[in-house]
Amino acid sequence: MDNDRHFRRPTSLSFSFRLLRRPDLLGLLLGALAGLAAIGAAGSPGGPRGGGDGSPPALAVTHLPPLLTVPGEPVELRYDVACLTLPAGEEDEVCHPAGSVFVRAGAAGPFRELALHEEPGAAGDRFVASVPEALRTSPTGFSYYAVFRAPSGETVTHPAGGARAPQRSVPLDGVRTIDLGTHRFGHTRAAAARVAEASWGSGPGQVGLEQGRNLPPIGGASFDVDRSGAVHVLDEANRRLLRWRPGARTPESIPLAINGTLADLAVDEEGALHVLETVGEGREQPFLRTFGPDGAARGRIAVAEQGVQVRVGPDGPLVLEQPSGQWMPATSGGRPLTTAEQLAGGRAGRQLRGGGEVVVLRHANEVRLALVSPSGARRSWRLTSETPLAEVQLAEPLGDRLVVVVRVYTDERDEFLVAVLDRTGLVERFSLDSADWAETAPLSRFRLLGSSLYQLGSTPEGVFVSRYDLEVR
Amino acid sequence: MHVAFRFAVAFAAAFGLAAAGSAGAYHTRFVAENCNYAAPTPTSTITRDGSAQVALRARYEGYQWAGGCWNDNDRDDSPGDPPENASTGGEGGDCSGFTFKVWRESLNEGDAGFYQWGMLRDVHGPYTAARFKSGDGAPNVTVSKSVLLKMDALASTGHIGMIYAKNADGTDQIIEAKGESYGTNIWTRTYRGDSSYSGVRRTGWSS
Repeated sequence: MDNDRHFRRPTSLSFSFRLLRRPDLLGLLLGALAGLAAIGAAGSPGGPRGGGDGSPPALAVTHLPPLLTVPGEPVELRYDVACLTLPAGEEDEVCHPAGSVFVRAGAAGPFRELALHEEPGAAGDRFVASVPEALRTSPTGFSYYAVFRAPSGETVTHPAGGARAPQRSVPLDGVRTIDLGTHRFGHTRAAAARVAEASWGSGPGQVGLEQGRNLPPIGGASFDVDRSGAVHVLDEANRRLLRWRPGARTPESIPLAINGTLADLAVDEEGALHVLETVGEGREQPFLRTFGPDGAARGRIAVAEQGVQVRVGPDGPLVLEQPSGQWMPATSGGRPLTTAEQLAGGRAGRQLRGGGEVVVLRHANEVRLALVSPSGARRSWRLTSETPLAEVQLAEPLGDRLVVVVRVYTDERDEFLVAVLDRTGLVERFSLDSADWAETAPLSRFRLLGSSLYQLGSTPEGVFVSRYDLEVR
Repeated sequence: MHVAFRFAVAFAAAFGLAAAGSAGAYHTRFVAENCNYAAPTPTSTITRDGSAQVALRARYEGYQWAGGCWNDNDRDDSPGDPPENASTGGEGGDCSGFTFKVWRESLNEGDAGFYQWGMLRDVHGPYTAARFKSGDGAPNVTVSKSVLLKMDALASTGHIGMIYAKNADGTDQIIEAKGESYGTNIWTRTYRGDSSYSGVRRTGWSS
């Protein structure tokens, strides 16, 4: 930020010495410099750069990992590679990077190199490798990572943690398949209670809308419910958090020094607030910022990649990051992790405070879910549907059950489907209005506390949080 | 006391002037000083991957309401522009201008051919997000959202973004010019299931 250009500053030592003999001028100068410094401090983005020396990579790799497989199905590893060094005007050419994928059975032991082949008939740099049956059928699944080499010699590893944090695929033996059939829109459950409510605005107890009147509304970026039942709504447009204590009609307002935007929120056991921003400065990575329950800043961590979700894991905040498509720890024992350490801790599943991980894979009209331990899937489900399924908003254990919220959609309508699953299959299901007039962080519309499911919703009038009580005995 | 008073006066003056300068920083004259009006280059074929490459050049660049000109230096050269002001001349496309250039379309709505626009060519194209959503223009058609492919788009009446990749949890990575506070980048979004969004496809890809 170049704010100094508006001002003439002393440039010679002799002038500076003259100032020391003129207290009146010295006061003016010190005041001016302090004013400039205050502006600079407020506007400077600061922080570490996200990757290496900050130079752009030569390749961009995308990959949809086959995290959960069913016996007998072929498993292919597919990668799209974009060469970022092609000259302008030659974007439709291919640059033929070389690639290999390194695979091993289970989660330990040496990797075996498989050549990645250019996909037949593809006009771009698309690669595929079939996973050999011996690895595919391993009861503990397989783990893998890929390395691509650009013509310039630069290599890119995916996921970025490489051999230290490979992607993992787990077989679903004994999976429970639940056919959801064709979704019946318009039969939604009413909330047990509306536990928080605010109109749009910037006044006390209101939640702000972002962007202009011609762009889609963004507001109430995320929310969470702490263990006391207090509801926290991230009002990033007004740079604050609103907290409704149980039973309270009006919220407390806690100012937060955040940049937004479309940030996610997680509240930990001690009431600390973890805010995951999604926009950095240029190529700088966004920050995960932590605040005390009173909003006092406790620190910030540059996330290794593009952060999508933040949740509280067994050892502090976990961040789902792209393009690796892994959950990465942000801290260890309370110590902020470096970018390399975050990447080295990447995992396909989200680590649960009660042990194990939950893994989610949506493919077409099917969602696969598993509770995974180091030896493989402890319990798993397949939800199949005639109606298209979109994102899985929530997958949280509830005792020995799993609560799932997935969006069901057609080209004209959408709702959320709530399913409670146990070892026998489907225990309970119901639908909820999508209530998504304003955009939020992508996977921030639901939270589970005990057997209560909370939904962050919005209308043209404002934002609200509703509670639904699950029929769990 | 005298010094303290002068300090306070100078602090307030400097703070005010610097803040005013900062607020006026959107007058970067980016378009005036960097952009051109060169004719596009007609091309015989375009690929989805090629259009992804075109889009990636705009990654980390700015956002300009009604704009369509950017460089490739991975920073917003016009930060802090007021939103929804087409006259600020800042860097970046808006959502529909970005899509128009990435899909390499013609200013002539009846022409479905392919036209390579330079990054620094300041052009928005004839389509708003709402018009893309309706499938307006010879190159554009609406498509069921469940069958969308890489570099197809999801459009509402107020926004459009293109599908860069799919995620395991059913979300999509969308490459989009999102807004002044966001610039242009790839973010995970849930537009696909949102009923305010429709599927849109640029026709004629060679693959």
